[in-house]
Amino acid sequence: MTIDAAALNLSVAAPATRRAPRRRASALNAAAGHLVMVVLSIFCLFPVYWMIVSSFRPANSIFETALWPTAPSLDNYVHAIDAIPIWAMLANTLIVSVLVTLAQLLTGLLAAYAFARWRFPFDKLIYTLIALTWLVPFQVVMIPNYLLVANLGLMDSLAALILPHFAGALAILLLAQAMRSFPAEVIEAARMDGAKSWRVLWEIVTPNLRGTIASLAILIFISTWNEYFWPLLLSRTPENSVIQIGIQMFMTSEGTAWGPLMAASTLASLPVLAIYVVLQRQVIQSFMKSGIR
Amino acid sequence: MTAIVLDTAAPRAVRRRASHWRIAPWLYLAPAGLTIVLWIYWPLVDAFRLSFYQWNMLPGSPMTFVRWENYANIFALPKFWQAIRNTGIYILGLIPLAVLIPLAVAIYTHDLPPRSRNIYRAIIFVPMIIAPVVAAAVWRWLLDPGHGMVNEAMSLMGYKPVRFLQDTKFAIWTIIVLTGWKLIGFSTLILSAANANINPSLIEAARMDGASRWEIIRDIRLPLLRSTVLFLTLMTILLGAQWSFAYIHVLTGGGPLGATTNIFYILWDFGFSTLSVGWSSAAAVILFLGFGVLAFILFRLMDRYSFHDN
Repeated sequence: MTIDAAALNLSVAAPATRRAPRRRASALNAAAGHLVMVVLSIFCLFPVYWMIVSSFRPANSIFETALWPTAPSLDNYVHAIDAIPIWAMLANTLIVSVLVTLAQLLTGLLAAYAFARWRFPFDKLIYTLIALTWLVPFQVVMIPNYLLVANLGLMDSLAALILPHFAGALAILLLAQAMRSFPAEVIEAARMDGAKSWRVLWEIVTPNLRGTIASLAILIFISTWNEYFWPLLLSRTPENSVIQIGIQMFMTSEGTAWGPLMAASTLASLPVLAIYVVLQRQVIQSFMKSGIR
Repeated sequence: MTAIVLDTAAPRAVRRRASHWRIAPWLYLAPAGLTIVLWIYWPLVDAFRLSFYQWNMLPGSPMTFVRWENYANIFALPKFWQAIRNTGIYILGLIPLAVLIPLAVAIYTHDLPPRSRNIYRAIIFVPMIIAPVVAAAVWRWLLDPGHGMVNEAMSLMGYKPVRFLQDTKFAIWTIIVLTGWKLIGFSTLILSAANANINPSLIEAARMDGASRWEIIRDIRLPLLRSTVLFLTLMTILLGAQWSFAYIHVLTGGGPLGATTNIFYILWDFGFSTLSVGWSSAAAVILFLGFGVLAFILFRLMDRYSFHDN
């Protein structure tokens, strides 16, 4: 289920020395290769670019097809902020994403440590059951989960958005893998020195897993930020909801307010895009390490 | 060899017995374990139970035991079979976008200079981090029949405007392409990484032996990429229809005339549009068992056919 991210770094090794007669053919090949990648890049990036451009177009020129805004304005942002409590929603999304990330890292570290440090009855079975959770689509368990939230009286609350994601199989599995490759002698030595398992975990194991923890944090944060389905089931009032639900409010059966919709979408994407611009390499690696999802 | 095995076996057995009554691992496991049981495995069991009842989720309304009636009703429903067929179309339609095109692109562009390769990589990954709802909103705008950029461009080239999301003929393919938009760059990156991981001396050796470009691809690259391709195919089959949920919900609501409804959307539709817990749960059980069997078969196939390098 995992793809070795180290492969990314090796990609530099490919171009080797070439003999003269092949040079012309390979230049042609390279040009065609660039062409393919440029087409793919436009397909992938244009919608995002168009979202940002449209968000700066005032209402009277929203249907223009010029590739850049001719008279850029912030009107759409003003409209979007008036229409929905967008700052509260962004704050909610941030709170949920940060708390889910912290919770999954914490529960993941604890569980992974249990698997890495001890043999105990049914350990293999439990590990397999955790790994198999990705075979249970959320839609299959949504009604019991919804009823549980209703019974707990947590409808329309941020707590209900966090609780089901309090632990994640991916965090447990990736951390367990990382811990297994951690030298057992070091743990053993610390134990000989009389360190309790709790201290070994936090003072020796965790600091050495910084890389894995960082890439997991990026991954969990981004996927929680983008989550749509579970908030959709639970939200009742915009004030207690997340930004993904807010975006949806601009698309009604009566019609769509394109400008404000693009402005809200841009605001909703901004934090994730900012993370990506700063940590591009790490973001790509952490997604590839975890496979899809 | 045997001596070593025996040697290590003995102390491990002792440790195993000693660890039987240890409570520490269970304490460490508890937070994650309880969460997963409470929100995934117990609900799964509960979905089985609810699938035998008729209930509309409103507090105080009667919950009647109806045996297999929900299942019988669902199987008799043309809408259900349409959703199953559509699920198949989603999966088949996604395979070219999530596996075949990325495979071709990865192989075709493998000898681009590293500098431009890094730029392309950064760009084609972007859709992966864009939220599905945002992607749906932007594509709705681009594909709008009246003023969308895509139709504007098509009319410049002399085509009539297409109602991408409202026409029964196009809607499902539109949703497939949008789902594929999110995956195509990512799959390309995964396959490029695997492709770059192939030992260059193998390629060089084949070239010395006079192998053509195509022969190198067919006899060396493709076999060595087989496990990655199988992995991506497996993911697409098992998760492909699931990825499209947000697009269906935001863009078509399963329509027009159920043309874009797949099995995941029908679960949502039964459960939260018609408030029929029994139907939704029965469909959930069918879905879970169906995909469970499929996953089992695919894992077996993958084990048998993937190529284990070094």
